[in-house]
Amino acid sequence: MTVKSPEAPPVREHRPVPAVQARRRPSTRPRLLPYGLLLPAVVVVAVVSVFPIVFALNLSLHETRFTQLEDFVGLDNYAAILGSSAGWASIGRSLIYVVASLALAIPMSLGIAHLLNRPARFRLVFRALILMPWVISQTVAALLWRWLLNADYGPLGLGDVAGTRIDVFADPVQAMAALILVNVWISYPLATILCLAALQTIPAELEEASDVDGAGPFTRFRRITLPMMAPTLFVVAILLTLLYFNMVTLVLTFTAGGPFGATQLVSLDAFNESFSFFNLGLGAAYSVILFVFNIVFGAAYIKLIRSEGDG
Amino acid sequence: MAESIRTGRRKPAGPLAYAALVAASLFAVGPLLWALSTSFKSPDAVLTDTSWIPSAPTLENYTIVLFESQVPRYLFNSVVVAGATVLATLVLATLGAYATARFRFRGRGASLFFILMTSMIPGIAILVPLYFLAVEVGVYDSYLGLIVVYTAWQVPTVLWMLRGFFQTIPTSLEEAGRIDGASDLRVMVQLVLPLAKPGLAAAAVIAFVYVWNDYLIAATMVSSDDKRLVSVGLYNYLSQYGIEWGQLTAAVLVTIVPMVVLFVLMEKRLVAGLSAGATKG
Repeated sequence: MTVKSPEAPPVREHRPVPAVQARRRPSTRPRLLPYGLLLPAVVVVAVVSVFPIVFALNLSLHETRFTQLEDFVGLDNYAAILGSSAGWASIGRSLIYVVASLALAIPMSLGIAHLLNRPARFRLVFRALILMPWVISQTVAALLWRWLLNADYGPLGLGDVAGTRIDVFADPVQAMAALILVNVWISYPLATILCLAALQTIPAELEEASDVDGAGPFTRFRRITLPMMAPTLFVVAILLTLLYFNMVTLVLTFTAGGPFGATQLVSLDAFNESFSFFNLGLGAAYSVILFVFNIVFGAAYIKLIRSEGDG
Repeated sequence: MAESIRTGRRKPAGPLAYAALVAASLFAVGPLLWALSTSFKSPDAVLTDTSWIPSAPTLENYTIVLFESQVPRYLFNSVVVAGATVLATLVLATLGAYATARFRFRGRGASLFFILMTSMIPGIAILVPLYFLAVEVGVYDSYLGLIVVYTAWQVPTVLWMLRGFFQTIPTSLEEAGRIDGASDLRVMVQLVLPLAKPGLAAAAVIAFVYVWNDYLIAATMVSSDDKRLVSVGLYNYLSQYGIEWGQLTAAVLVTIVPMVVLFVLMEKRLVAGLSAGATKG
């Protein structure tokens, strides 16, 4: 869970290292050992992730017919996406989906973690209940929410709200809002767990001291909690951004891109082109575009945390 | 000591905090409660009785799911694959994390960066290539294929997490072990790993939940019903019978019970393990 930049400032300072630790005695140490230890992980990752992404890049530069690679077409597949309004519409919807979900999930996780970190009656019960959606798979979450929001048989009485029938899945804006809501529902628990873990490393004395100094809750949050949480929030932001951009399962099972393409995201395009229409080249191009988005956002966060470390 | 720092002098929650906690709990379990209610309704009642408490509760859905469906088989498959993945991931990631946390060597930074970068690869991008690769190598439609792919996807995050954890463990103990003549490997296995237990437990839970919840890989890499994982099994079950909400919600509840039990048992350890190590870089 720690997708961590080496630049991230440590939360606590290490105690001064005793001299004996700092000294290295390389003579007796087998030099090959670290390579041997790291090699299995690198090999597995290379075979399962790197080889396929190279394969996918190659696919995206070719015309394909079912599973057959045909002519090299250069960037034509990318041009087909980036030169069409439909392609840009998908990118726009993906950005809305990711940014709106982040804007809801991160403050919510931080807030809930804060609540769960205070002594309260039934604290363990609240913790178990609130974090429970974490163990619900995306498929199940989609089905449960579809059933809950059902206009005709659902418990919320959406079939007749002051005379109007609210069918979330027939209205483009409501469908996107519901999708974002469910997305936040499945993803906030892990973010909350990470925030809670980080909050517990902040000594209570520090908060107490700020109380004595007369700092209000807002100042305390800004001056103590936020700086100490920065590395964790960075990890959470990266994790969630990757999860949201690459989200296929939830969208596929919740709205399948509908109604009228209102929830058609880039990730779903990549899936549909590859698995429904067997345009493997075009599908690969969509997924490479996703990869680029992941890298751009990842690099942006790293830059952000680095500049904060300087200041 | 830790406990008094963590909770001892923090301000207790006020009425507003309780209201927020209750609201968050309702948001979290609302859909599950409605599913629980539906699972005790007969097919007719599902479409007529929209109250939260079923007027004529029945166990019919549960008997069908438990005794006349493949759901128990899917559960078994998921436990096997998720368990094996956790083992493989922990072994690979622990070795790699230890090497990069404790040794300086040429290419360490590059390897770490390489491993981190692969976690940015979208799953959907490599699904088609992985399918071809699995067919080529002969692990398509097998537990092994699933386990290898899941392991490779979990190793980067778990490795980074454990590396942070190892860095919080003082090296003085290892130095002492070495002076006593223990080999590097022995020092790692016998002195460091026991101290890293909380971190290993947290990593194990995270990897297990990931595999349990995944749909895409499981749907792509397996075709026979006997080897299907629970997330895919549920979805097929749904299309096979049309949407039979009573049975479906019963199946959903049966499949989340093991996870909820695991979660309640491990939740405290998880947070403790993460706070001990994961926030370090």
